[in-house]
Amino acid sequence: MKITFPHLGNVYIAAKALFDGLGIEYVIPPFSSKKSLEIGSLYSPEEICLPFKINIGNYIQSIEQGADTILITGSCGPCRFGEYCELQMNILKKLGYNLNFVVIDVPSSIGKKEFLHRIGTISGESKKTAYEKYMALYNAIKVLNLVDEIESIAHENAGYEVKSGMSKSILTKCKSEVMKCGSPAEMIEMLKEYKIKMKSIEIDKNKNPVRVAIIGEIYTIIEPFSNLYIEDKLMEYGVSSKRRLTPSWWVKNTILSPLGINSMDIKRASEEYLNMCIGGHARECVGEAVLACEEGFDGAIQIFPMGCMPEIVAKSILPTISKDKDFPIMTLVVDEMTGEAGYITRIEAFIDLLERRKENVLFRN
Amino acid sequence: MLYFENIFYVSWEKYFSESTACTEVFMKLGIPKGLLYYKYHPFLNEFFTELGAEIITSGDTNRFILDEGVKYCVDEACLPIKVFHGHVASIKDKCDILLIPRIMRLRKGEFICPKFCGLPEMIAGSVRGVPEIIGDPIYATNLNELYNWAITAGRRITGNRNRIRNAFNKAVKAQRDFKNGRYEVQYNFRVALAGHPYNIYDDYVNMNVVKKLNKLGVGVITEEVVNENEIDEQIKRLFKKPFWTFARNSYGFTTYLSENKAIDGIVYISSFACGIDSIVIELIRNRIGDFPMLVLKIDEHTGEAGVDTRIEAFVDMLEGRWQK
Repeated sequence: MKITFPHLGNVYIAAKALFDGLGIEYVIPPFSSKKSLEIGSLYSPEEICLPFKINIGNYIQSIEQGADTILITGSCGPCRFGEYCELQMNILKKLGYNLNFVVIDVPSSIGKKEFLHRIGTISGESKKTAYEKYMALYNAIKVLNLVDEIESIAHENAGYEVKSGMSKSILTKCKSEVMKCGSPAEMIEMLKEYKIKMKSIEIDKNKNPVRVAIIGEIYTIIEPFSNLYIEDKLMEYGVSSKRRLTPSWWVKNTILSPLGINSMDIKRASEEYLNMCIGGHARECVGEAVLACEEGFDGAIQIFPMGCMPEIVAKSILPTISKDKDFPIMTLVVDEMTGEAGYITRIEAFIDLLERRKENVLFRN
Repeated sequence: MLYFENIFYVSWEKYFSESTACTEVFMKLGIPKGLLYYKYHPFLNEFFTELGAEIITSGDTNRFILDEGVKYCVDEACLPIKVFHGHVASIKDKCDILLIPRIMRLRKGEFICPKFCGLPEMIAGSVRGVPEIIGDPIYATNLNELYNWAITAGRRITGNRNRIRNAFNKAVKAQRDFKNGRYEVQYNFRVALAGHPYNIYDDYVNMNVVKKLNKLGVGVITEEVVNENEIDEQIKRLFKKPFWTFARNSYGFTTYLSENKAIDGIVYISSFACGIDSIVIELIRNRIGDFPMLVLKIDEHTGEAGVDTRIEAFVDMLEGRWQK
């Protein structure tokens, strides 16, 4: 059994730690690229959202490298993501691939027994003891948390660093070095070192950079290819950015949600504008916009794939927040036809607008 | 004794006068004629009329309403949502209070669409100058759940709980007596007309597709005629149970009819960028193989001539298959 999974930001680093720990063979799909999107759009239904198409591209590229089992999570919210598994299975079957699909769905919809059975199909492959399996999972989550933390420090520092480009280069180096490690323990050690390195970058606290919050649909803001590397671009511009939704946030949120104590701050912030969960991450999007304003950010950028149902609701609420709080919010809709030049122009125009609002046009020197 | 009687008398009189005064408030309630109004208007109309509200509905969809909707609504939304915005805009100045049904659930464990769950917020954010909104979530999985909604919504019109209960019972009866759905077998050909109810029953939006089909000698069957058990049987064939009520209906009903050879083809009316349709159409296609299916995409730019051509071509194809 060779497991593969779709890309979602830094999840591949944690997946490496998990499967190395379990001693299961796996294939990490090549990074999402124009090629994977092309493959995906060729075989996917026309009107489906962008994440689906990139996923299909990821699968096919890793099947070419020998993968035979696909691991994905499901959901039962009203968002389309919950139906991905069924369609993707059909598409890959039609293409003639003989694959195993393991869909980790919420226990409340498929039953506890089926849930454990599905987990069992993965963990049963591993020859390790139960304790080692548990440790593998624990380490994977630790790796995920560390990577996300390093990344968020880099994004935050990008606006304050004295020597511009430092945090970006350390981040890139960190991500490539950590994949060369042999064991999860080694990965954690290395990530800890990089975290210290990242924190010790020389920064100038007197700088007053533009600060932007990235909000919107979880896949398109986390997977850098789907948003045309917006965070890297912002780092190059010397803009300090923050994104609350990360894979580690998702893990924490999912674990805490049965108890109802997940993301309390977001729930409180979204109370006034959207006081119930309507599926996807619309509520989070609205809450984050309010939080970003409260935390003194200069503006927010909402990103979602064309046709995303929950984010359309969020988009119609955001102008009200923007008006109430005098807080600029820009919406970018991405799909496979998004052209990079037009996209960059819009981001630059938005950053210019934020600079002028600060009356600090020449901060970038 | 007389003294007590007097008090008793007075207090009752006070009670009666108050309660009548309370219900006599002449409130104008606006109900936009969009989305699931087509399915649940007997309930909504009966309930609020019995509560003593004067009901103001927007007219049938027309060019003006559509244009208003496109003007107010966010660009990315689907056509039915835009049309709903138009309906709201056309009655917002004529009523004191507006009903935006936030329908969360019609069956246990299922949803409609995320846009329904956030509809009141969408309207309040996009249409300027809307009056007070009744936008309490409706979980219509059983009568008790629905009654909870009736109480919270009814309180906005009247304080009299008895009156709410009576109105609720009458409204439920009206809804049960209401039969819609088409089952036209007198024609040479029969097709299943699938899609969301608001696309099927809004004749402006779908450009009178039923009439067009009938003219060409094609009868129409809609999802209401297939019973729930048959649909459940069909759903069991899927790896995962769809969690959208209308996806479940469309899938179960079209595959059931095509499997039993009760129809010659399927016509699916789908609004552009509808997330649910993008999935259901694929699921149906996977299941029925080469059974004839026409997907009519509608949006605010759809031209009638193009739709005519496609329907005619489809009917020609059905005739061709029959002659074989």
